Amino acid sequence: MIHVTEETKSGWRVLSVRGRADADAADVLEAALRAAIDQHPKVAADFSALDYVSSAGLRAVIQGARAAEARQVEFAVCSLSPNVRKVFDMSGLHHILRIHGELPC
Amino acid sequence: MLTMLEEVVLLAVDEKSGCLRSTREFATAYALVGAVFFDLALARKIDTCTEEVHIIDRGSTGNATLDRVLAHMASRPDLKTVRSWIEEIFQRRDDLEGAALESLIAQGILRHEKSKLLWVIDVERFPLADNEPQQDVRVRLSRAILSDAIPQTRDIMLVSIAEPCGLLGYVLSESALALRWPRIQMLCNLETISRKVTEAIFELDGTLRQAMTKMV
Repeated sequence: MIHVTEETKSGWRVLSVRGRADADAADVLEAALRAAIDQHPKVAADFSALDYVSSAGLRAVIQGARAAEARQVEFAVCSLSPNVRKVFDMSGLHHILRIHGELPC
Repeated sequence: MLTMLEEVVLLAVDEKSGCLRSTREFATAYALVGAVFFDLALARKIDTCTEEVHIIDRGSTGNATLDRVLAHMASRPDLKTVRSWIEEIFQRRDDLEGAALESLIAQGILRHEKSKLLWVIDVERFPLADNEPQQDVRVRLSRAILSDAIPQTRDIMLVSIAEPCGLLGYVLSESALALRWPRIQMLCNLETISRKVTEAIFELDGTLRQAMTKMV
């Protein structure tokens, strides 16, 4: 189960993601990222309350980053919990994503 | 749309001779296993974390080969890690290749020809009946590697399966691959399944080398 809430802070559209980004939630996560990317020039995904990310969840984030790249939207992933950080590090996602310790705004 | 398994087998077909390039070798066999797992992941039947595979839906994929693998996985709840499942399905690799070839023939993409070498040895060939699907796979692989853009999920999976079994050498020149090696490694590392497939290949390679050294 995943919950996504949105707000705008200093020009960034911030998506706060809570719960587990697994196969059940991947479509919801990708759709939320894509919708924000379609409408805003700067999008940040706040993962501080994301407890778990599976391969399907990672693919959703990667495809969000792909959509941002195609639209020339600034996209950042922020505040990863230790569990999620470990998965991101293992996958080498820092090569294709901007990963911040804190929100960029 | 072709399955990942069919795309990997199609990539292994020599477009001039119709022979299968090294698909009997263990590295390509592992790649076929990885392709099946990617097909199941794309069909949202399984999901993986850093070590384990989870079945999330036992319903039919609409593909008999994938359904057989999924049913087998569901019957073995004792096997949990990605690695143990790669090893388990590796034992059934010939079925996977045969099923993919049959499907590609049925779809009119390959032909099946049998002949005799020196009037004795049976030789099977699978010439392309339609060049376009193989060309499409090659173009997608080239684009994913040569471009700096983030590829589609399917193309990331394809690169990460084609690399460990050496099939990228049939798509791009050695120099192009060397130049883009960091990019290829980056794409391969993104997926748990391909990381585990690569580990399995390296370990088996190490075991074979040790065995060969002992024999010498």
